[in-house]
Amino acid sequence: MQARLIELAAGGPAENMAIDQALLESVDRDAVPTLRFYTWSEPTVSLGYFQKASDRLAHSPSENCAFVRRATGGGAIVHHNELTYSLGWPLEYVPAGAKSELYQQTHQAIIESLGRFGVSATRYADLGPQAVQSVTSNEKRCDPFLCFQRRTDEDLVVAGYKVVGSAQRTSRKAVLQHGSILLDVSPHAPELPGVVNLTPQSITVQELAEVLTMTIEHVFGMKFDVFSIDEEFNRRAKQIRLTRFGQSEWNEKR
Amino acid sequence: MARDPEKLLYAESHEWCDVAEEGGEKIATIGISAFAIQQLNDLVYMDLPEVGKAVTAGEEFGEVESVKAVSPLYSPVTGEVVEVHSELPDSLDKLNEDPYDFGWVMKVKISDDSNLSSLMDAAAYKKQCAESG
Repeated sequence: MQARLIELAAGGPAENMAIDQALLESVDRDAVPTLRFYTWSEPTVSLGYFQKASDRLAHSPSENCAFVRRATGGGAIVHHNELTYSLGWPLEYVPAGAKSELYQQTHQAIIESLGRFGVSATRYADLGPQAVQSVTSNEKRCDPFLCFQRRTDEDLVVAGYKVVGSAQRTSRKAVLQHGSILLDVSPHAPELPGVVNLTPQSITVQELAEVLTMTIEHVFGMKFDVFSIDEEFNRRAKQIRLTRFGQSEWNEKR
Repeated sequence: MARDPEKLLYAESHEWCDVAEEGGEKIATIGISAFAIQQLNDLVYMDLPEVGKAVTAGEEFGEVESVKAVSPLYSPVTGEVVEVHSELPDSLDKLNEDPYDFGWVMKVKISDDSNLSSLMDAAAYKKQCAESG
């Protein structure tokens, strides 16, 4: 199966989320799986779609970071020293709810990728609950503010700490999944160690993006062609940035 | 009186619809089918529309979150929202137990009933659910 790859690039908070939304729309329309890698031009807190903007006050280390509300669910992420990926996946028919297989297969590819760097990552569901650090609550709406202090079955854990989490948004004929692979601790979230803090390995975002592209090709049985963002895609992403993710009406809607 | 799921209409996107005449108007009570609620698994948030909002058949009217996935809800009818079940977002655990009575989401005054004939009856909807696994 042919698929599109949008190569690693840094973007601003609203820009990154707008490109992901434009990606979802393009996959919904064209039915071509699309993978994208990105980093953030400044340390950024992204809030889960249903989180309250005021919840940020509970986390002082990230209070001066830029922030944006995602279109996807889950908890807040401090995007700094991480590789972020997004994957748009076409479906003939998308019922509401999470696509578990997409979480599982993508995370399997990440496990294999980290394994190639000598890092052993494990699904949270495959661990005993006592093996994991800093879980403070499993209550539904009493979840911790930060996504990386929450736990769901498909999260990936290294040496007891969550280092990979993903979230989704569905449209009529596609699902967008994006997620973070935390490589190094951030001063804006000092309680969350990254892969290089938990293992003796050294990994750059570029290296990880290259290996992950190959393992996703392998796990999903597809071949990527590099997709240069064209004028039409760019125009739509800009429109979404200006009307949604760059607007306080969106970012502070709750 | 308990609503009978066998007598409701269903959209392809899994919303149910109960149309009744009230004061000369057609009012549709709308919710999410038991099948969809089961598929949604661990629903944690729901956004309802505002009363007075215009909704269009096949277009989004609300959103839900489960297992970190946000999904739109689609209106099965066209009209104006006249009432929403404001207790529901804080009682989502009850949806599983009672999707057709406690689980109503909104009531819509139908302004154009031309799409009602494209909704499925219970038998056709069950067939769709069986085919989608």
